[in-house]
Amino acid sequence: MRRLIPILLAVTLGGLAFAQTQLTFWVPSLMNTVERAAIQKAVDAFNSQNPDIVVNIQVVPGSETEATKLMTAVQSGTGPDIYYLDRFTVAQRAASGLLTDLTPYMQKEGVDLSSDYLPFAWAEVQFQGNVYGLPFDTDARALYYNKDMLQAAGVDPSQLDPMNGPISIDQLIQIADKVNKTDSTGAYTQLGFVPWLAQGWGYTWGFAYHGKFFDKATCQVTPTDPGVVAGYKFVYDWAKRLDPQKVQTFVNTYWEWPDKGDMPDSQRPFMTQHVAMTVQGNWYLSTLASVNPGFQWGVTYIPTPDKSKTSWSGGWSLVIPKGDKNPDAAYKFVRYMAGEQGQRFVVEGVQLFPTWKALLDDSSLYSGQLVFFKDLLPYSNSRPPLPVGALYWDHLATALQAMFLNSQTPEAALQAVHDAVQPQMATFCK
Amino acid sequence: MRLGRLQQRKLRTGLLFISPWIMGFVLFLAYPVVYNFWLGLTRFSGFTTPVWVGLANYRAMLHDPLFWTSIYNTMYYVVLAVPIGVVVAILMALAMHQRVREVPIYRTALYLPAVAPVFALSLVFIWFLNPRYGLFNYLLTLVHLPAVNWLGDPTWTKLAMVMLAQLQAGQYALVFLAAIRAVPISLHEAAVLDGANGWQRFRNVTLPLITPVILYDIIIGLGLGLQIFVPAYIMTGGGPLNATMFNALYIYKNAFEYSRMGYAAAMSGTLFIINVVLAVLVFWSSRYWVHYEVT
Repeated sequence: MRRLIPILLAVTLGGLAFAQTQLTFWVPSLMNTVERAAIQKAVDAFNSQNPDIVVNIQVVPGSETEATKLMTAVQSGTGPDIYYLDRFTVAQRAASGLLTDLTPYMQKEGVDLSSDYLPFAWAEVQFQGNVYGLPFDTDARALYYNKDMLQAAGVDPSQLDPMNGPISIDQLIQIADKVNKTDSTGAYTQLGFVPWLAQGWGYTWGFAYHGKFFDKATCQVTPTDPGVVAGYKFVYDWAKRLDPQKVQTFVNTYWEWPDKGDMPDSQRPFMTQHVAMTVQGNWYLSTLASVNPGFQWGVTYIPTPDKSKTSWSGGWSLVIPKGDKNPDAAYKFVRYMAGEQGQRFVVEGVQLFPTWKALLDDSSLYSGQLVFFKDLLPYSNSRPPLPVGALYWDHLATALQAMFLNSQTPEAALQAVHDAVQPQMATFCK
Repeated sequence: MRLGRLQQRKLRTGLLFISPWIMGFVLFLAYPVVYNFWLGLTRFSGFTTPVWVGLANYRAMLHDPLFWTSIYNTMYYVVLAVPIGVVVAILMALAMHQRVREVPIYRTALYLPAVAPVFALSLVFIWFLNPRYGLFNYLLTLVHLPAVNWLGDPTWTKLAMVMLAQLQAGQYALVFLAAIRAVPISLHEAAVLDGANGWQRFRNVTLPLITPVILYDIIIGLGLGLQIFVPAYIMTGGGPLNATMFNALYIYKNAFEYSRMGYAAAMSGTLFIINVVLAVLVFWSSRYWVHYEVT
């Protein structure tokens, strides 16, 4: 009998292992190590709570708008069970037929999750009234500044203290220009601010000037909205004031272009003290903590013409690709990971914000500078969740290049964006 | 012509022997090409059922400024990279052909970059091209030329890619080296007796006899050049201002980023036809400048 026990045990355990559902969870390579560690923790907790399911994380090539590996794998029947997808592309991927509609699963579970998530995040996972993913984290953008560099240039950094509210664009120009330095050949060796670096996207400046990027009523992309044009003009004028060629040479000297995330954080111009101010997200707090660049820094509002508060938020989502072989188990994991439990791990580990509303109210999760970002959220905008999101993004980015190279007027460049994107958008309008 | 029984059997056996190749060709080349042309006539996201739209994708192409930009960029690249590539490869082959003791070292050094993957070369090239600290601008300043913002200025970016392509010339140089070594020594001796100098011997003896390899290099270079993708994908993402938005990159973006697989298929088909037409033109012209007589 004593001999039989180990055999029985082995058979039982073996049977258990056999009954386990193995799930593959793909995360794109763009994600940094701090984020990966937090996600791994959440997955480990899920695995120990659910002995019948084992979730395995795999890192695959991919970025915000690129999901080539996912597309080819799904088409050949070897896709993952769960994918970590940039939320603003959910509508587009759903429209293309890449994602499983989660609405029936939620109906089966008998839940209405719409009020549990932040409204903008919930809107981003919809396509034609159905839900194609569950929102994960979110973020906010602000202006980081190097106190030492400002002081050395004769600027009192306390002007930028968020206690005083946002500074105006004119103040920004005054401060930044004091920091600019050139060498004997006239080439810039340090600049106060370069609006289009890091998170200085077209969306950032369009929102700063109260621009609207989409008109739901007419189903039109609106890159020529006066606010968006004004935001782009701000970038155009900034480059013009400093000489576009000279600034671009400076940028290409100290910055990886285009920014694909390959350049180590410690070598970026804000860290190496070549640029005194930069627009970045709240995740940059943990980057600064890990690089420890050895200068005093602060964080304040993104400057706006009328000193109003502004920011914009993005974030990721969890989706189940079409044709998944274990959709029920995958749905269970997605509910956990994008729910209160899973999001808590990421909030604690990475200093990102949850889209699960109840977690935002838990003040014990936020301290230090993160509180500043959290208070920004009510003023934050988001990109319109469109089935042509990636196309719109790319064209807005090209138009921004035309601004900092001064090769086109804002009106002409943004009209070209409209002309390229709207015909595609029109195919989805009713 | 009727085949005899023996010939028929031989034909069957022969076909059987090459059947793996035939199957490979049909499955992985002919079928995808035909299927691609069919997809080009549909609206297809990659996952939903393709919807027949006739020539709509081709009409859209005509009115898509970025498509024309991508064609212009690709042609600009091919017109420069391919002929320069031939010259560089011949020069390298001549260098490899020198009768000096340390020639194996030169051969290895010249061939080595061709072994490295293009994406690795591209990443290294980004540092070479740095406007302040890069190797290329350092060399320019040595000869008192103005520094250039290679990757940031739309005027220069394509030229930077043409330069990068030359690092791959090593593998063609090897073929040229073999061709140069195959030139009968007696011809050179005869030329020397006739009083020809080094340049004259190269121009009138070596060069005509390596024209078949030049043709080979141009045809292969044309095909690869029209599909230029990796350096732009790695180094510039198609910018600045779409200056390196090559056709293959634009096809890729439409297929995998914008979910416009049908449109991408139509553009691929067009690129295929352009490639075939150019290759036929080169072959046709070769009767005037390629010499097969003595090799």
